[in-house]
Amino acid sequence: MSQLNSSHAPQLVSDQGEVRANGWTLLADDEAIGVDQAVLSFARAVNELDGLNGRYGVRIAPGDDVRLLTPFLSKIALIEVAFPGYRDGRGYSTARIVRQDLGFDGEIRAVGDVLRDQLFWMMRCGFDSFLLKDADPAGAIAYARSLYKTAYQSAADGLKPVWALRHPA
Amino acid sequence: MYVYDQFDHAMVTARNAEFKDQVERRLKGELSEDQFKPLRLMNGLYLQLHAYMLRIAVPYGVLSSRQMRTFAHIARTYDRDFGHFTTRQNIQFNWIKLADTPQILEDLAAVEMHAIQTSGNCIRNTTTDQFAGAAKDEIDDPRPWAELIRQWSTFHPEFTFLPRKFKIAITGATRDRAAIRVHDIGLQLTDKGFDVYVGGGMGRTPHLGHLIKSGLSGEKLLSYLEAALRVYNRYGRRDNIYKARIKILVSALGPQEYARQVEEEWATLDQAQIDAPHAEIARIKSFFPQPAYADKAFDAAALDRTKAADAGFARWVRNNTLAHRRDDHVSVTISLKPTGLPPGDASSAQMDVMADAADRFAYGELRVSHEQNIILPHVAKADLYDLYRLLDQNGLSSANVGKITDMIACPGLDYCSLANARSIPLAQDISQRFADAELTDKIGDLQIKISGCINACGHHHVGHIGILGVDKQGEEFYQILLGGRADEQAALGVITGKGLSAEAVPAALERLIKLYLELRTDETERFIDTVGRLGRDAFAGALHEPA
Repeated sequence: MSQLNSSHAPQLVSDQGEVRANGWTLLADDEAIGVDQAVLSFARAVNELDGLNGRYGVRIAPGDDVRLLTPFLSKIALIEVAFPGYRDGRGYSTARIVRQDLGFDGEIRAVGDVLRDQLFWMMRCGFDSFLLKDADPAGAIAYARSLYKTAYQSAADGLKPVWALRHPA
Repeated sequence: MYVYDQFDHAMVTARNAEFKDQVERRLKGELSEDQFKPLRLMNGLYLQLHAYMLRIAVPYGVLSSRQMRTFAHIARTYDRDFGHFTTRQNIQFNWIKLADTPQILEDLAAVEMHAIQTSGNCIRNTTTDQFAGAAKDEIDDPRPWAELIRQWSTFHPEFTFLPRKFKIAITGATRDRAAIRVHDIGLQLTDKGFDVYVGGGMGRTPHLGHLIKSGLSGEKLLSYLEAALRVYNRYGRRDNIYKARIKILVSALGPQEYARQVEEEWATLDQAQIDAPHAEIARIKSFFPQPAYADKAFDAAALDRTKAADAGFARWVRNNTLAHRRDDHVSVTISLKPTGLPPGDASSAQMDVMADAADRFAYGELRVSHEQNIILPHVAKADLYDLYRLLDQNGLSSANVGKITDMIACPGLDYCSLANARSIPLAQDISQRFADAELTDKIGDLQIKISGCINACGHHHVGHIGILGVDKQGEEFYQILLGGRADEQAALGVITGKGLSAEAVPAALERLIKLYLELRTDETERFIDTVGRLGRDAFAGALHEPA
């Protein structure tokens, strides 16, 4: 939650609080795909994934319609959802669509203006890793997980909504 | 009314702990004001011109006497002994110290209240008919549905960073007292389910909502709303704060295309996971029974005699009571628009009196109306005179509900950092100008709504007479709109004549009203009807002094 911490270099952390190195590389659109773990732009993914073998990452910008990736999901291991500013909430819908409508079971990563205040919402929408600007990424995850034990509505995290707890089947 | 269970309590407790931590870090200087701003704005705490303002949610305008007493306590202990009831059926305190907010939120939590989602670009407090559950013309009670929406929308993870704030209103009666056509989503309960209107709103580009769905089953309401919000969240504009409300999206796409996209999105959702089951809807409904009505012998002839003996009481009964579903009860509106005081304000002592009145005469229940008055929804006719005397002794018996002095006004330049012009002093001037009870009654039903800037918090677009404060080269002046209305025949007012100085407005209104009284067919033709019959232009000349 501390926006103070936003000056820290981003570190990759999982929704379980594991801090790890980021092996993925974002490619420019004119850059040859010469590396393992290449992240393609959305436009490039839509245009080229059909003719490619292997598994890739795709970077989704807020205005991109992620459903256009549906035919290529088997070739995608990582979806990076960009947050150019924390107030732009389109990425939350993107993550839920990818996870719940398209049934994607790979990694969904939040990148950009990702602060500890948003982690709670992001985890609920299906994100499972974060390039987080925070001095203590693992602590931030623990904090976000400690806030709320229940939720009023179902989302992508499998948490049962309160109404389901009130009326156990 | 709704009573929290362990889950509701836990949610508010967790939020308060989170916010307390944020406030403490701000006070210690670990967070700058810039860093703190987005955090406090998620909890209804604004920094205004002179102090912090805390806006507290009154869910769909329903509150208990105990909760009203807590407002009195907050006013006395943490503010300058008064509070301001808002057009969103909430209350705000204008002189709050940051260091006090955690304790205030704790005091509120003890009576099942909070400030969650009273600001920020999220789903705000759902508003409804202040006479819900009491009005004679009600088809179905909107309160359980508003509570269902409250829970679904609280901390909704997908919709916390919408393009802009989002407001939902529900009415369950044939008369629309909730202004549903000027809301982002307006819901009309019918005997076949919900009619859904989308894309209404005020602000600098006012729109009336469009009907995009009829006969939506209540058991599918939440998933449909989720689809509607998702389309907005994905495609609403974010490049310009003034074009970010859903009305702009709906207008750009066209209502049919927007509706088609919502249907398409709705079909992709796992609706069974989103829609609360019948048992939960039934549980919520069980909190809104009719009160255990007292069978008090009511003597119509005696009431008539009392009215004959006390003209003030007779006028109050005529103007401030509404027909109830039971013939031996009425709904009473306590006007917070006394002559010369800011609309919607109440002192702590008055709040205590209103709470006492609710306990003695109204089964402990109160409502806040979007017209910024307080309602006792169920009052036995046999108790009316005792209630009136109690209110009268405490400056709460203004008998002007629905009349020219029952104005809506935003806080304006006296408090608000966005305002261009003052609203409250103008409202005070107008109320003094029309203070004569006989004249007010002769004029009849007339709604004046005043906004201090084009953000339209004072609803000027839907006033029969709307007044908009603008700034022209450093000077405040006011534009007059005519012909707006927020009811089931909703219409937007149109700017008529040239702008006026604050000093010129009351006299201009006086000329306008004089002309109306000359032109109306008879006393049953309301101002808005005469404007409708003759057109606004017939009145434009009266706004300006004859040359």
